[in-house]
Amino acid sequence: MPTTGTLQLIKLEITRALRNKKYLFFTVLYPAALFLMLGGTLSGTTKVMGTELTMPAFYMVAMASFGALTAVLMGNSERIAKEREKGWVRQLRLTALPGRGYVLGKTASAGVLSLPAILVVFAVAAGVKGVRFDAWQWLALTGSIWAGSLVFAALGVAIGYLASGDTVRPITMLFYFGLSILGGLWMPTANFPQWLQDICEWLPTRAYAGLGQAIELGGAPHLKDVAILAVYFVLFTGAAAWLYRKDSLKA
Amino acid sequence: MTTTTPAHTIAAAQDTGPGAAPVVAFQNVTKSYGAVRAVDGLSLELHPGETVALLGPNGAGKSSTLDLLLGLRPADSGTVRLFGTTPREAIAAGRVGAMLQSGGLMEDVTVREIVALGCALHPRPHPVEEVLGRAGISEIADRMVNKLSGGQEQRVRFALATAGRGDLIVLDEPTTGMDVTSRQAFWATMREQAAQGRTVLFATHYLEEADAIADRVLVLNKGRLLADGTAAEIKAKAGARRIAFDLAADAPVDDTALRALPSLTSYERHGDTVRLQSRDADATVHAVYALGLYPRNLEVAGLGLEQAFIALTEAEEAK
Repeated sequence: MPTTGTLQLIKLEITRALRNKKYLFFTVLYPAALFLMLGGTLSGTTKVMGTELTMPAFYMVAMASFGALTAVLMGNSERIAKEREKGWVRQLRLTALPGRGYVLGKTASAGVLSLPAILVVFAVAAGVKGVRFDAWQWLALTGSIWAGSLVFAALGVAIGYLASGDTVRPITMLFYFGLSILGGLWMPTANFPQWLQDICEWLPTRAYAGLGQAIELGGAPHLKDVAILAVYFVLFTGAAAWLYRKDSLKA
Repeated sequence: MTTTTPAHTIAAAQDTGPGAAPVVAFQNVTKSYGAVRAVDGLSLELHPGETVALLGPNGAGKSSTLDLLLGLRPADSGTVRLFGTTPREAIAAGRVGAMLQSGGLMEDVTVREIVALGCALHPRPHPVEEVLGRAGISEIADRMVNKLSGGQEQRVRFALATAGRGDLIVLDEPTTGMDVTSRQAFWATMREQAAQGRTVLFATHYLEEADAIADRVLVLNKGRLLADGTAAEIKAKAGARRIAFDLAADAPVDDTALRALPSLTSYERHGDTVRLQSRDADATVHAVYALGLYPRNLEVAGLGLEQAFIALTEAEEAK
């Protein structure tokens, strides 16, 4: 159970993120805009290659996942690396805030901001492209995409403790674009050469989009996707914890 | 540490009688960075209510000592205890407030918001407005933290260090970037804190601050404790006294004879004015008269803390 101090930190993290116009644009509006650009010109009945989904349905899940990914990955990695460099992390270590409190605060605030990113894409898809699902599907989509973003929040923390203030952006971008494109968040991967598809199949973003696609087709998320995400979550959290401990010995 | 509860330790530390846990206890603490030994077998104790200055030339190990004291880095060997517990436990219990040069501030928030966070994070907080007032930042409370001057940032750090009722305040070069007026106001606040029984430890490179404010001075060089005492004791330990006089224009004496005066540690001559430092002022002055000179405007005085500090560290370097 977080302490009142940790809750206050989370509140302040959210307040300042909402003040940051650039961050808001890229997390909340950009995925929805991209959805309209990528999925907007295509008809609502064409099936996406390699899937049973229509174009708008495919891109809705892809862009909602992408938006949540952006919010948690960028939110965590860049701000942690910068604040380590500026000495704010060190300042916090002089307070009664438990060591985990800082990472918890960052992840919780990124999580709060990833929710509107998901909902705005859904609203645009339903309102502009007439995407329709049952009520349970909407809820399940929101819940699974939101929960799945935790995996990338952990990756963001790990990068934040790995990179310096100068290198954090290129490193984050590498993961961000690499995972988004190869995971099929921007376009279906069915056109990729077979060897690349074999790799893509095991990426966390592929499994992440898979959660939502399974729900859209009326089923539960595939066990394989859930298992892949769970393994990555353990991996990223372990790396983040290890890097955090290493950092606190030399801060 | 198997049976000691935190409550028990706190009660024991507040007892100032014999056997009470010292506020800070370093026992044979060593810390190296690669081949550089930043802290070298340091042992010291601070007691409740003391105001202690930590002096030392650049690279003496002041910052490393404060890092170890606050548990920001682990010691290679030896033990660091605050109030009889680990630094982290003491900080988590809200007993320590610290202001570091390297401590950054959160961006995109106002001064009031960051101070309110500091109060929320403290187990025994003061009201936010009171903390703002004491740090002299009530008027800039609605300003964004990233738009502050260096001196204003220092005051925000001070506010964070005094957000709650602690027993030890640690300050690393606290008045850097402040103008003279704010500096005086700052130390007035610090004296109040000490008067309430808090222990104050500060590192500084303004020796006059150490002289005027501290009732105990620690001189650190190459990670070792060179001297530990009141400012007066440190000056006495440095041993030397200053001697100055003017020579008559036609005085029959050359530099060689003056340089050969007994017990000199330094010699300067500007025209007719001679300035000396001596380990034994009586013997030196006697020898001046023995040369057949009649010095005018003779002055003999103790060294300032600054000269004493330089004399001490130079003596150490020479070893």
